[in-house]
Amino acid sequence: MTAQEVLGKKPLQVLEKIKESLEKLNEKMEVMIELQKHDKKDVVQMLPEAPLDVMTLLSMPDHLRKTAMTLCRLGRATADEIAQQTHRARAVESAYLNQLVIMGYLKKERKGRKAYFYVDRESKGDEVG
Amino acid sequence: MKLGRIIAVHSYKGGTGKTLLSLNLAASFVKRGKNICLMDLDFRAPSLATLLKIEKVECWLNDYLNGTCEIDKVLVDVSTKIHNGGKLFVGLANPATEAIRDMSAKDRKWEMRALGRLLTLRNSLLDGKGFDYLIFDTSPGLQYSSINAIVSADLVLVATTFDRSDVDGTKRMLHELYDLFEKKTELVLNKVLYDVSSKSGKEVMQTKIKDMYQVPLLGIIPCFCDVLRGEGNIIFAEERPDHPLTKMLDEIAGRIDKDIT
Repeated sequence: MTAQEVLGKKPLQVLEKIKESLEKLNEKMEVMIELQKHDKKDVVQMLPEAPLDVMTLLSMPDHLRKTAMTLCRLGRATADEIAQQTHRARAVESAYLNQLVIMGYLKKERKGRKAYFYVDRESKGDEVG
Repeated sequence: MKLGRIIAVHSYKGGTGKTLLSLNLAASFVKRGKNICLMDLDFRAPSLATLLKIEKVECWLNDYLNGTCEIDKVLVDVSTKIHNGGKLFVGLANPATEAIRDMSAKDRKWEMRALGRLLTLRNSLLDGKGFDYLIFDTSPGLQYSSINAIVSADLVLVATTFDRSDVDGTKRMLHELYDLFEKKTELVLNKVLYDVSSKSGKEVMQTKIKDMYQVPLLGIIPCFCDVLRGEGNIIFAEERPDHPLTKMLDEIAGRIDKDIT
């Protein structure tokens, strides 16, 4: 965003934009922390758009399976909604969900300030594995 | 408002009595005034269509999972088979050899979509149509369709026998399948050779089984020659209301109903 663009907007909108950017940054940091914690072994050699079928669910580490199963049940949800079901912290769920996105199992879509996660069951992508 | 529940009837080995249990448990629930939808998810060896003598349907469950029809077109109303009770609908697996071959050659992406369609049944049938229970009769072992059913269910009812390989396999599944999905699991021990009249013998066996599997025991069903004699044609709750098997299944239905309502 250029200085001219910023000056042309109301301060409240600018603050909103900053907040949104900080949230995005926060999410990215959560993912990095999560990846470091698990020694990146979960994401190595994962292909984009891997189907989230039951055999994949079975082979997942427990902490990710819980998140992935909850999302399967809800269909489409925010980290907040998942956290309500799993009784874990929103930040934890956000990190796990983002990790599942990186692994190719979930899709993420932003609507305003909210980030929605979902299983892309309808895509016509090639079969994996 | 009471919420409906999904029960998956599963086992490690074949021939443990899943279909007998599913059909007769469904009938027991119907006799209790419940509205039941029984689904044959054993696509490798479909049996409900034959047992209920239904030859033609508008759509099979195979079509629903393929995404080529909606669930309304699959369900068949067989309520007239059980008098004085709730409604009984069934969803049937296509028994044609070609359909069995087709279902066993599905890829992971298809299985993922099938799971999605099974999961939506909670909205469309339990919440939308007011069924009290969906009962999924599954294939034995670790088949895709069975695990999809287990993941979609609220309760997994595991039919097991005292056959040694079945005991070992069931134990493994308890820890390596149902536990991983955090599923509420209960056992029904079937084809047991013991004296039904002996109360103490039954108690000893119940303790033994609970120690062996470490999961709740929903019921013990003795080996009944009448089941074999019936050649799969008898719906016990309807045709043999005074048979000990009917009473045992009614007790099991009662326990399930009490536990999860």
